Amino acid sequence: MANRMMTLAFASVLLLAGCEEIAPVVTGVKPGQADPGPDLDGQGRQVLIEEFTGVRCVNCPAGSEEIETLLSIHQSGMIAVSIHAGEFSPPYQTSLYDFRTAEGDQVLSYLGEPFGYPTAVVNRRKFEGQFDLQLGKGEWAGYVAEEKSIPPVVRIGVEPSFDGNTRKLTATVSLLVDEDIDHPDVRLSIMITESGIKDLQLTPASAEPKADYIHKHVLRGMMTPYDGVPLTESLSAGSTVTKTFEYELPTGWKEAHCELIAFVSLNGEEKDVLQAEQVPVLE
Amino acid sequence: MQRRIWFVMGWLLALSPLAAQDESGSGASHGGRLTGNLSLNGNFFMRDARIGAANTPQYDRQLFGADSWLNLNYQQWGFDMGLRFDLFNNSNLLNPTGSFTGVGIGQWYVSKSIHKLGISAGYLYDIIGSGIVFRAYEQRPLAIDQALYGVRLTYDILPDWKVKAFTGRQKQQFDVYNSVLRGINLEGFVALDSAGVTLAPGVGVVGRTLDDPSMNNLVAALNTYRQEDLARMFPDTVAGGYRGPAYNTYAATFYNTLTIGPFAWYVETAWKSKDIMNDPFADRVNLAGDTLPDAGAYVNTTGSVLFTSLSYASKGLGITLEGKRTDHFDFRTRPQEEGFRGLLHYIPPMSRVNTYRLPARYAAATQFIGEMAVQADIRYRVNKKLSLNLNLSHIDNLDKELLYREVYSEIYFKERNKWTLTTGLQWQRYNQEVFYGKPDANLIETLTPYLDFLYHFDRRKTLRLEAQYLNVGKHADKTGALVREDYGNWVFALLEFSAAPHWTVTVSDMYNIDPGKISPVDDNGEKLRIHYPRVDVFYTYKSNRLSLSYVKQVEGIVCSGGICRLEPAFSGVKMSVNATF
Repeated sequence: MANRMMTLAFASVLLLAGCEEIAPVVTGVKPGQADPGPDLDGQGRQVLIEEFTGVRCVNCPAGSEEIETLLSIHQSGMIAVSIHAGEFSPPYQTSLYDFRTAEGDQVLSYLGEPFGYPTAVVNRRKFEGQFDLQLGKGEWAGYVAEEKSIPPVVRIGVEPSFDGNTRKLTATVSLLVDEDIDHPDVRLSIMITESGIKDLQLTPASAEPKADYIHKHVLRGMMTPYDGVPLTESLSAGSTVTKTFEYELPTGWKEAHCELIAFVSLNGEEKDVLQAEQVPVLE
Repeated sequence: MQRRIWFVMGWLLALSPLAAQDESGSGASHGGRLTGNLSLNGNFFMRDARIGAANTPQYDRQLFGADSWLNLNYQQWGFDMGLRFDLFNNSNLLNPTGSFTGVGIGQWYVSKSIHKLGISAGYLYDIIGSGIVFRAYEQRPLAIDQALYGVRLTYDILPDWKVKAFTGRQKQQFDVYNSVLRGINLEGFVALDSAGVTLAPGVGVVGRTLDDPSMNNLVAALNTYRQEDLARMFPDTVAGGYRGPAYNTYAATFYNTLTIGPFAWYVETAWKSKDIMNDPFADRVNLAGDTLPDAGAYVNTTGSVLFTSLSYASKGLGITLEGKRTDHFDFRTRPQEEGFRGLLHYIPPMSRVNTYRLPARYAAATQFIGEMAVQADIRYRVNKKLSLNLNLSHIDNLDKELLYREVYSEIYFKERNKWTLTTGLQWQRYNQEVFYGKPDANLIETLTPYLDFLYHFDRRKTLRLEAQYLNVGKHADKTGALVREDYGNWVFALLEFSAAPHWTVTVSDMYNIDPGKISPVDDNGEKLRIHYPRVDVFYTYKSNRLSLSYVKQVEGIVCSGGICRLEPAFSGVKMSVNATF
């Protein structure tokens, strides 16, 4: 009996303990560590993070804050859009705005419903070990960093033009293909976001929504269909594609706070965003 | 996937001649035995935005969803083999607001006993102790399938002592997580003397090695934390930063059941080594130095659970006293997983598992961050006709804030072959701020009388009546007006006619008789008093059961096997088939 117990104890130690491990190094954010950001000529990877949120979502402000933290680290290497869609998105009776959009609802259906909130999709990529595209808050930083480390296969330039009299917004999008893209269905999408909107938002601080909450990166509309326009041109290395889009900005939107987000993505079972670019409507 | 299908086809081909030799239809042939069961659920979704049955893919466009499991087990030549075909079509089981479609082999296993050695491989279900450090299990109503995909060995070292060791990875739908698990468990039984004093001790240890992609992702998230927060989480510094999270985390448990005559005392104590876990109630300080209350953050801490249960049973009297203390015991295949996903263990709930509709409406889900809970259950059989039951439970968090309190009483009266009556009263206090995640919300206070009357017309025909009334307490809203919490008051009635052995028909209605804070409103802002009717028809033939139901169901917490989650409203038709062969 004693021998058996000794053998068992020895086997347990071998099975479970092993040697002392070498832990990873955690550095945190250090002063001056922030990314200087790419310019168009040497444009690096710019990662799109699409946060799904709602004014009735009590935990979503924590997600929005996480996005601001990541933006302060990655700066122009990360592009954020907050899409008000899903069960928590209906406005309050006293809300000033209804942030829901038809395109937002369609994008949510297109990318899949989340398991819980806060939730976001990073570059529309299904990462290894994940159930779906939707990711919990604790995973965004890792996947943004992972995506950012991959060089872009296409670079995007956006030139906006806005006529204040007619409120017509024109966007000329140029694509510079760096590597062959042989996927059968590649799309170009353009989103319009607005920041600095003060309106109700439920927060953990109170059962009543916070009246002066500042909403950022709110998806207001799209200059393309929700799933983009197909790129039928050749996307071989060295080729360029230029497309122009028009949109009439509703009067309620403050153009000075609006931005255009253009991105190239795959369509079909894989929906990966290959590159994204963001510019203000008024340059 | 292709290889897996070929494997399954080969497996079935190997079985088919053996099963085909059985001409009696019993499944037995030359000592071999093929058994199985089928479970099929079909849902037809009928949009009803008024009750919140809307804005999901099923209500908006898919309209139909189905889940099915076909289980086959075969025993031959000392081998046990099993195979399960899983189907999810537009299923909302995995994510109540989402849609999942997938078909494949959900489980297979092979096991064999060689003298004292037992060998098992495949997708395995198992438990150590009461599951506090390890439980690989399935709860189909909540789409939980946390099988271990790996190998398990058992060995009978003595007649009453068995050791078990396993290694593998946790199942993730039709895939597996990357973290590697291993564990060892020793269990025994000792009879101390002839006076009925026995011990059933056990000890177990489980280890988890985090995979590289998960660790890289975790480190990237931690790298967004402030230096002072990291210094608190990781006190050891190394060149360039802090000695970060551990790849290997261990959870150990010791448990024992001591039986002395009519008394049985179970005690289990578990400890977990330092591990990163997500604390959903932790404050987070952002880079600007602003504190975000209850924003949720990673913490790096050890965990512990102490669980004990003392029971007495003799001459019609049964008493069970239970206590549990949980402190940061969230053990997952990777810390990034949320909800039920990736859980490696199971902590027993410390409140009564209610089955009647309204008494079950407010259920206390286990809190991994911290719980201090006690429960008492007393049953007394006065005579052959009359039995009494009283259950008391109280759950606080570790800051002594009340999470849940329940007093449940039940009187059971039976007039042999004529009728039975079950009636009682339930009183609850329920912390919706914690269980529902509602900020600054008042405690829900309920008082629920209930009644269940079963009348026998003859040996085959019975009629059953259920009636319940849920009264919810009022609190002042921001205008000072008294408003009932949550959905307010409910009344529920059910009538069930059974004609054994085949037919059962049930008609019920749950009515929001006095709407509360979050009850739906009409265009004028008036609270709606909504009916939630349900009609079920069940047909049973031998071991097969079919059902067809029309259902309108309010949103609420749904529990299965002690695991709970918030389920959205349902509107539509459900059908189910359960067959055993």
